[in-house]
Amino acid sequence: MTHPLQSDLALYATGDLPLWRRPVIRLHVSGCDSCRSWVEAFGADRESLRGLAAEMPAEVNWDRLAAEMSANVRVGLEAGECVAPRVRRPVLAAGWRVAAAFAGVTALLVSAWWLNMPQAESVALGHVVEKIAQARPWHGGIGALEDSGPMVQVSAAGIQLQQNGGTLGMSQGQQRPVSVTLSVQGSARARYIDADTGQVTITGVYAQ
Amino acid sequence: MRNKVFLLFGSSVLAFAQFGQQQNLAHKIDFPHDAPVSLAGDEWGGSAATVRGGAYAIDVRVALSLRNASQRRIRGITLTVLAQEATPGGKGSISVPSLDVAPGEIFSVRGDLHLLRPIGTGASPMVEVSLDGVLFDDLNFYGPDKLHSRRTMMVWELEARRDRQFFKALLDQSGREGLQKEMLSSLARDGDRPQFGVQMVRGRSTNTDGERDMQFAFLQFPGAPVEPMGGIAHIAGNEARAPKLVVHNRSPRVIRYLEMGWIVRDSQGHEFLAASLPSEMRLPPSSSSQILPDASLRFDSRTSVESMTGFVSSVEFNDGTMWIPNRTELDDPVLRRVIPPSPEEQRLVQIYRKRGIAAVIDELKKF
Repeated sequence: MTHPLQSDLALYATGDLPLWRRPVIRLHVSGCDSCRSWVEAFGADRESLRGLAAEMPAEVNWDRLAAEMSANVRVGLEAGECVAPRVRRPVLAAGWRVAAAFAGVTALLVSAWWLNMPQAESVALGHVVEKIAQARPWHGGIGALEDSGPMVQVSAAGIQLQQNGGTLGMSQGQQRPVSVTLSVQGSARARYIDADTGQVTITGVYAQ
Repeated sequence: MRNKVFLLFGSSVLAFAQFGQQQNLAHKIDFPHDAPVSLAGDEWGGSAATVRGGAYAIDVRVALSLRNASQRRIRGITLTVLAQEATPGGKGSISVPSLDVAPGEIFSVRGDLHLLRPIGTGASPMVEVSLDGVLFDDLNFYGPDKLHSRRTMMVWELEARRDRQFFKALLDQSGREGLQKEMLSSLARDGDRPQFGVQMVRGRSTNTDGERDMQFAFLQFPGAPVEPMGGIAHIAGNEARAPKLVVHNRSPRVIRYLEMGWIVRDSQGHEFLAASLPSEMRLPPSSSSQILPDASLRFDSRTSVESMTGFVSSVEFNDGTMWIPNRTELDDPVLRRVIPPSPEEQRLVQIYRKRGIAAVIDELKKF
């Protein structure tokens, strides 16, 4: 035989059980001595508590006490939340429109760079990025990032002005010099010969 | 929000539109009223300024027709091409040595230079061409000489006289065949002369490789008024920096300028002229001095410096006269291999290449 839970019997005894469950419990209790004795015991306890409550000091405000107890219960629950491990809830970025706009601007800049930027500028930027990566200024290597200004370089192709590793330009355009000399004073000379007249022209560039 | 995004778009497009945009180049030719040359015509076709970051990259393509307005023959001329005085890379020069322009004659000077000028230093990109100096056949000089062109043109003229004298002597001694053989030999050397990439870096090196000191060896010229006594440079990876040379004046005259050549040999046996070491000084007779240029040379990343050689390439005395090595002193295997010939020798060789040995002989007879 299956007996009802004791909590249901206690609620039945005090008349607090929901109405739709009372007939079932009443039917069982009428046929079960054990459960009927529990119901009678719960009823006796209730009467006993009422008697004790009547003996409580007259100044005790039960309503206020109940409110304080409820408040304390809530405080306890919230305190428990504070010490409980946090669960990060996925949050949808509020500024997704801003992110999309910046993505568009970035795409525009990259396209503009691709279409318009002279190769020398791209090379120079690449060298700058490479230099920053090598110097690792976030590790204190800022000294290597000192900009020494335009530098003069000579090669078989002629004189080049360079900055940040990128070529700013070359003297004498596409014509190839017959000789190029570099001076440690910061200048360079390239010598060109007119194929027809033999006239020698020497161009100088001063980086300093 | 939408307006701000459009504004950002617009600004970006405008900013990038600046790059690569070419502008016409304003120019000015400014010769003193008493200059020994006058302007007969000028062409600036192809000159333009392009915005590159915070500066104009200026391509100067100029062809000037100048008239010798003096009563003397002109041997050389140097023009200053100025985009910005204070900007590194803002100044250039065009020199024409080995000239022989009679009074009243018109000659041409062509130049193709690439200069820089910061944006914001004027309403428009502009270059100014002015006269730095003119050297006459009597070695007199006219001009402000801001680029020290008197000294440079004097060296070229002395080299021209030396080489013409050498070729004339060769013609007298060995005839057309001897001269032709020398022209062919010069042509062959020109083709074989190595030209390695060298970069001049001011101040301290950023190379983190281990540094070592390397001694200079010297080519001694018996006739040189200056004797190199010793020299050292710090080598770190592919960089040579802080060269230090000691020279001794063994002439009876005060020396005010010295230029030395710096030859580098790498670990693979390649030798090349790395740079020249000019030095202003006041060096009395029988005294010594140090040359301490504040510079570093950076070579190709694969270049490992094995040895260095120095030689005296020109000396200027206190009275303005100059010394250059003679042909015998230059007849060293290393020098012949790495040092370019004089502008005059290159001019004569080009005449030979274009018009033959008879034209070279005719040219020599003019002087």
